[in-house]
Amino acid sequence: MATTYGGYMGKVLKIDLTAKEVSEYPFSDKERELFIGGKMMAAKILGDHLKGTEKAFSEENMLVITTGPLTGTGAPSASRFNISTLSPQTGYITSSNCGGHFGYYLKKAGLDGLILTGQCDTPTWIEIQNEKVTFHHADDLWGLKTSETQAALDDRLRMKNGRVRKNGKICIGPAGENRVLYASIVSNERGSGRGGTGAVMGWMNLKAVCVGGNKEIPVYDKEKMVKHTQKWFRYLRRHPLTGEQLPKLGTAGLVSSMQMKHILSTKNYSSGQYDEFEKVSGERLAEAYQIVNKGCLTCPIRCARTVEVAGKQVKGPELETLVLLGGGILNNDLEAVLRWNYELDELGMDTISAANTLSYAMEANEEGLWDNGLRFSETEGISRLFEDIAYRRGIGDELAQGSRRLSEKYGGKEFAIHAKGMELAAYEPRKAAGLGLGYAVSNRGGCHLNGGYLVILEGLGLSVNQTTYHGKADLTMMFQNLMEMISATGQCLFTSYAFFPSPLMRHPNAWYTRLVNAALPYCGFAVRLMNKYPELLKLHLPVFHHTKGFEYATGMKMSFGHYMRCGERGYNLEREINRRFGVSADKDILPARLVKTLQDSEDPRSKVPLEKLKKVYYHARGWDRNGLPTEKLLKKLQLEQI
Amino acid sequence: MAKVKVRLYGVVRLKTGMSAFEAEAETLDGLKKQIPGVTPKEAKDLIVLVNGEKAGRRCQLKPGDEVVLMSPAGGG
Repeated sequence: MATTYGGYMGKVLKIDLTAKEVSEYPFSDKERELFIGGKMMAAKILGDHLKGTEKAFSEENMLVITTGPLTGTGAPSASRFNISTLSPQTGYITSSNCGGHFGYYLKKAGLDGLILTGQCDTPTWIEIQNEKVTFHHADDLWGLKTSETQAALDDRLRMKNGRVRKNGKICIGPAGENRVLYASIVSNERGSGRGGTGAVMGWMNLKAVCVGGNKEIPVYDKEKMVKHTQKWFRYLRRHPLTGEQLPKLGTAGLVSSMQMKHILSTKNYSSGQYDEFEKVSGERLAEAYQIVNKGCLTCPIRCARTVEVAGKQVKGPELETLVLLGGGILNNDLEAVLRWNYELDELGMDTISAANTLSYAMEANEEGLWDNGLRFSETEGISRLFEDIAYRRGIGDELAQGSRRLSEKYGGKEFAIHAKGMELAAYEPRKAAGLGLGYAVSNRGGCHLNGGYLVILEGLGLSVNQTTYHGKADLTMMFQNLMEMISATGQCLFTSYAFFPSPLMRHPNAWYTRLVNAALPYCGFAVRLMNKYPELLKLHLPVFHHTKGFEYATGMKMSFGHYMRCGERGYNLEREINRRFGVSADKDILPARLVKTLQDSEDPRSKVPLEKLKKVYYHARGWDRNGLPTEKLLKKLQLEQI
Repeated sequence: MAKVKVRLYGVVRLKTGMSAFEAEAETLDGLKKQIPGVTPKEAKDLIVLVNGEKAGRRCQLKPGDEVVLMSPAGGG
């Protein structure tokens, strides 16, 4: 449906793959005001269709690909797009965010989003050029790895003059084709990694989607937007996290800090420190392997690394992969991690879930629960094992199910490190209580970002007491809402780090930083007040450029309080959809290792005080004791019709 | 004067081009003046751990101590 707002193309297409029919999906301006875009827009679409009885691999499921209103407007780090679906890993809604070019080109094709339903009768790829959809046979692409697929598609999009028509692509690799439950969707070198979106695309018999066009992406007030964007870029470039640490070391630069703070997941989360961490650290990566750092479209942060492996220039690993395929399996061979990272991207598989499933299997073997031949620190044959997972061969067929299902079959649930069926990220939460809560309550399962990423206060940025529960529940809620909204607008979550004023990050030993560290756990009431009465914050914060940027791009009024309220609406919407699939307090859990076993036997607080945190969190959110949004809350958030 | 081993992490390591060095100092303030290529103002903002524990600027060093100097880092 056409829109009066800037930033939007005003059209969402629904493609029925079974019938090969294309139609416009109605999405009104009223819905844009409430659900903005990205993962929130996708949740609204899924919420209007899912009843709670559907399965991930079924005609009733949908793959909803959406952009945000800032995608492609020139705002910093705003080339993102989102893929939401019913996850085959968790059985609940998942949303997976991706950088690269696809989001920008989807809008150039004239679309804010794509809804894919049904199943092609034969392998297919879809071409969308200026809203026109063409179905192509993909028999000869089926079986190709992700970079081979994208190269073959470029050949098909070659024009008479020999140049490739400008386009954005998403595709799956063999893991998606074979429905590995944690298969990813890949776009250039980037991945919509988590939750098994690639397996759903594989079930649909859909190998790839290419989009392109020459539509203009409208901006409500171009002049103000350009001026504001220049200021915003300068701010991000001057900030110590987005202007120095991430460009110089990438996310991998956190390994050393995590080691010092005892939150570096080691040997399947049995410890928070790895003796040989230096060999698999961000510093080592930068010194020995890095060729250059790279960024997505309009991104001043440029956090991605290009490294050289066996004479080939490939994308370097993110922190998660480095930690979980390093100390996570007691491997100190950095070159092996670089190689596996590349191979997993080529096969189209989430590196976090693949690594954690592997470390679970190693421990299950050591505990005598499952005779699979895998052992910690024995890394020979792992490349072959990853291929076996992708092609569902031998033991790989079992590993393709992920750690939850394996622990249900073989035992060892206490050390199958997942939440709601999705494996946790690389931060060991027993020394980061707030992040522990975030992992447990996150809508998509064991995710650090959807969990609120409180570890940025608990040692990786600020230095709030890591094990206290004071204030953590309220702060978790605040950061979840904030990140929900940033993601919905089409921007990278890394822009949220600028929310912390530069001096706090640059001067960790200054009196004011120490004061903030000491005071934050006692600010829960203020956060709750702000959440309850967002109208008190009808203003733009000087450190938070997002609200003004949103206004200039779209023409919608957006104060900081309103921004946070939109994020809260999105978070509750996903929770409400998950309620239909059986989510409540008893699903917000972590494995026993993290809540019952002390990380440090001499520190009684070195475990996640989950039940205590959940109680405060539910109260802060306005949920009932069973962890579900109340009718009053849904009405307040204008979600009563959902 | 205590002879200590100093390890560097984060951006400061890239800046100095060194992963570790040995130094002689009585206090951390004294030690921070000896980091090659790092001004005293920059050194003031480094996070310091002595033998794995967070340490204040007036911390007295003992022979054989292992000191970690790390640039502030966050966000991943």
